[in-house]
Amino acid sequence: MRLPSVLRGGVFVAVLVTVPMFGLQHWFLNLLVFVLMYATMSSAWNLVGGFAGYPSLGHAGFFGIGAYTIALIFKDHVLTTGYEPFLLLPLVGLVGALIGWPIALISMRTRADVFAIVTITFLFVVQTLAFNLHDLTGGSQGAALPIAPFPAATFELPFYYVLSALLIFTVGLTFATMRSKVGLSLVSIRADEDKARGVGVRTIGVKVLAFSVSVGITAMVGAVWAYYQSFIYPQFAVDPLVTIAIVLMTFLGGRGTLWGPVLGAVILESGQQLLTYQLGAVQLYLIVYALLFLVIILLLPRGILPTIEDRLRLRRRRRRADAAAAPPGNPTPSGEPDAATMLGGGAS
Amino acid sequence: MHALIQGVILGILTGGVYALMASGQTLIFGIMKVVNLAQGAMVIMAAFLAYQLFTRFGVDPFLAIPITTIVMFGFGVGVELLFLRPLRREDKSELSLLVTFAVALLIEGALSVMWGTTYRSINANYANSSWTLWGYQITLVRLWAFVLSLVALGLLFWLLNRTRFGRAVRATVQNPESARLLGVEAQWVSALGFGLGAATAAAAGSVYGLLYPFYPGSHYDLISRLLSIVVLGGLGSVGGAVVAGVIVSTSSAIVAATISPAWSEMTFFVILILVLLIRPQGLFGNVDRGAI
Amino acid sequence: MQQSNRLWRRGGVGVVAAAVALTLGACASSGNNSGASASLKSGTPLVIGASVSLTGDFADSGKAVQRGYQLWANEVNAKGGILGRKVTMKIVDDASSPTQVVSNYQNLINRDKVNLVVGPFSSLLTVPASQVANRYSYAFLEPAGGGPKVFAQNLHNLFFVQPAPTTKSGDVFADWILSLPASARPKTAAYTELDDPFAAPIAENIRARFEAAGIKTVYKQVYPAETQDFSAIMSKVVAVNPDVLVGGTQNNDAYAQVKTLVQLKFSPKFMFLSNGANSPLEFPTKVGPQNTQGILSAGDWFPGSTATGSADFTAAYSKAYGGTADTIDNSSAEAYAVGQVLEDVAKKTGKIDNATIISTLHQGTWPTLLGDLSWGPNGAPSGSFNLIQWQGGKLVPAYPAAVAQAKPIYPKPNWGG
Repeated sequence: MRLPSVLRGGVFVAVLVTVPMFGLQHWFLNLLVFVLMYATMSSAWNLVGGFAGYPSLGHAGFFGIGAYTIALIFKDHVLTTGYEPFLLLPLVGLVGALIGWPIALISMRTRADVFAIVTITFLFVVQTLAFNLHDLTGGSQGAALPIAPFPAATFELPFYYVLSALLIFTVGLTFATMRSKVGLSLVSIRADEDKARGVGVRTIGVKVLAFSVSVGITAMVGAVWAYYQSFIYPQFAVDPLVTIAIVLMTFLGGRGTLWGPVLGAVILESGQQLLTYQLGAVQLYLIVYALLFLVIILLLPRGILPTIEDRLRLRRRRRRADAAAAPPGNPTPSGEPDAATMLGGGAS
Repeated sequence: MHALIQGVILGILTGGVYALMASGQTLIFGIMKVVNLAQGAMVIMAAFLAYQLFTRFGVDPFLAIPITTIVMFGFGVGVELLFLRPLRREDKSELSLLVTFAVALLIEGALSVMWGTTYRSINANYANSSWTLWGYQITLVRLWAFVLSLVALGLLFWLLNRTRFGRAVRATVQNPESARLLGVEAQWVSALGFGLGAATAAAAGSVYGLLYPFYPGSHYDLISRLLSIVVLGGLGSVGGAVVAGVIVSTSSAIVAATISPAWSEMTFFVILILVLLIRPQGLFGNVDRGAI
Repeated sequence: MQQSNRLWRRGGVGVVAAAVALTLGACASSGNNSGASASLKSGTPLVIGASVSLTGDFADSGKAVQRGYQLWANEVNAKGGILGRKVTMKIVDDASSPTQVVSNYQNLINRDKVNLVVGPFSSLLTVPASQVANRYSYAFLEPAGGGPKVFAQNLHNLFFVQPAPTTKSGDVFADWILSLPASARPKTAAYTELDDPFAAPIAENIRARFEAAGIKTVYKQVYPAETQDFSAIMSKVVAVNPDVLVGGTQNNDAYAQVKTLVQLKFSPKFMFLSNGANSPLEFPTKVGPQNTQGILSAGDWFPGSTATGSADFTAAYSKAYGGTADTIDNSSAEAYAVGQVLEDVAKKTGKIDNATIISTLHQGTWPTLLGDLSWGPNGAPSGSFNLIQWQGGKLVPAYPAAVAQAKPIYPKPNWGG
């Protein structure tokens, strides 16, 4: 028996809000902050890479843009309450989206591979600019943000709540999109773009919208991260490994699903942080990461959630077929529609 | 003016090396429609192999090429069979990007474990010698690298145009369905094609190791430049990659000489964006149905 | 939660008892634990936590730091430990990532409840790490974060264990040049600077002092880290024929600059490279041993140093890790010095808790194998580096006179080829 999606969402929000009240240790809250960061970014990436089927490899560039934007705004500022950077987050998101728009317009006229090339190039351009535009970014010396004046005992909490809000927003947005015309358009683009255009779907408009929103959210996460770290350097603020992490998490959980990216982030980010802490000295970190990626892509190409759903659906279908004269299996689409059911069976 | 011409000379000489690296990448795309994000990593891997042969056994990097070519060819075939073959056709375009990126990370990780992360370079004793021609300096190593690249590219052209395998490759690039109808085994062509792309990386690696210091993470810089070159040349066109390699490299060197070294990196990217805006299929690429 | 299981299986020696007892209450207990209350009665192990780059871009230097820490711990334990307590190093990997380094120090301080923490490799990681340590009032002695941004934080708990802030490491060169009689001094100077947080500032500090003293700047070029081809830059240097070339460099660009100058057949009268030329083994290998004569650099520790504890360190290192004094990475010496300082605090005050360390180290001078160190209020050390020069294929300290083992050679002889 599956809970209706609104109820599931409600439980999710409730859990997020109440978890810190159990008086958790700092290191655990710290871990949660990073998990939330990646969950939000993966969900945002999912809009472009999962639903639309355009694998952007440049999201880390927008992460960096968000980080540097907030650093620039607060360069020589003295904070009073410490909440000022959070209040300006929407502005940062807007900056990200505005920069993303022309990028999308140029690059989404082409196929997926060229799109990936453009986005990955964009990533390196942003990194180069971060290094070269000294006056703006501090160059290789990095940029400092004012240190958040939150008391040490509750330092992580404001960041936790802001990121939770961002995550809830992103998941909610995804949910609304899935049920809207935009969502349907995206999925049709992923299935067969030429056909979609032929049928009258406004492919360019929808793609560009999805991309802009996606990178706007990513930029906001970048700003929160910058504030949390209080000091950023170009090679870390704009890091290809961030992109690859986001992609991997979305793939692991299930592209084009609502909760897939969140699940992927929870598993991978906490796993990665803890494993590096324990196993790093074995020097196999990068190798394990890459192998994990390959294994997931090759063996679990649709990700965890869709695979589980498929298995459940298969079981239900078999059960129904066994239970005497039942109408030939149409999968029970309860709960939210996902890419597979929307296409009536999935492209697997 | 002197600086400008010196820049042009440098650009042309270096362009040959980049052309060699890019030719493998564009070939792989042409055959399999796969953007191989691991091409840079394979060049670095070959550089480390050449380094090891040089420091352990005293083998000159140029002479090491036959050995590294065989190793890299095998590696390339292996990668295709293990990681690319299993991908289903619908997902291939998206997933191959991610798979090759993961392969690049895997290579980087393995190289870090084996050789650590300090920069290495192959210090052959002719590495410092140079000629001066009409007041312009020509480093011997770069000249040899250029010549070698030309030879390797010549071999590649011969392979593609004069052998049965080459004809099969070209047929598959132009029209995979017809090629299959005519009996070309697409599976074999893919595997061998990827191996061939990796083999070009072997030659490029020896050269790269002689010219520049490198460490396992060097592939990021390389791949971003290679991508610009193949897009400019036209995805799938080997000749295009050669021309583009020289053009991009020369522009970059000119910018370094006349404006500032800091911005020469941007040259690659600026060219890429311009190409995509003005002529997305590149200089010699094809505008297929459903393609760019 | 699976974490406690993994920790148990993996646990280092001294950590197990303390860590398990404390982590059982992990999910339920609240609040932070100030450093002072973690020091128990004498006899319990003294656990010192450190996050070091064992993988990633900083791996080689990170591992050198690890060796330094570990070597010191072994040495001090052989002498009876600190205040009768055995020292245990808990070293974890941060994969050269600032995100991970923050989590690591959080875990070390709040989850594993180590007694003390010491710093990671590189200013890039030291900055965020020091913030975490400061929040929980832990002292932060660090061997490798000497960039200006580290001290701009104005943290009272931070101590950079090297003779001077990194950007001032070239000042000793300026000291020496300006100490020469006016007739022998260079008149014109060229500056080639790597665009990173340390290298360029080092050269810029020198330039400021030279220009104030009337040495004309005839060329300056800042180049990005990815620069691989130095022919354009060095050709311009040759064209202006400077008396002195000041290179704000790291390793690879230093080697490349020398090699290019050899190819261009130009040898300035004075040549200073802030880094690269101070590697006893790498430099001659990379540029050719016949080309090193007369090149100057700056360093804190060097093989053959007679500073406090240096001989013991060199002997112990060779015994534990093999090789000769020439193969020792400076980062190991700097990490070892961190330990020396901690030992001294314990000897002087009879205590080894964070508050004592922080209050004691801001006064006085502390002898280490890097020389005698002392710190200002924001953790910046107030000494200076040594000017070292290649003479006869070896690196020798040439200035100041107190440390010099040979007279500086000038002008620099021509390239050996």
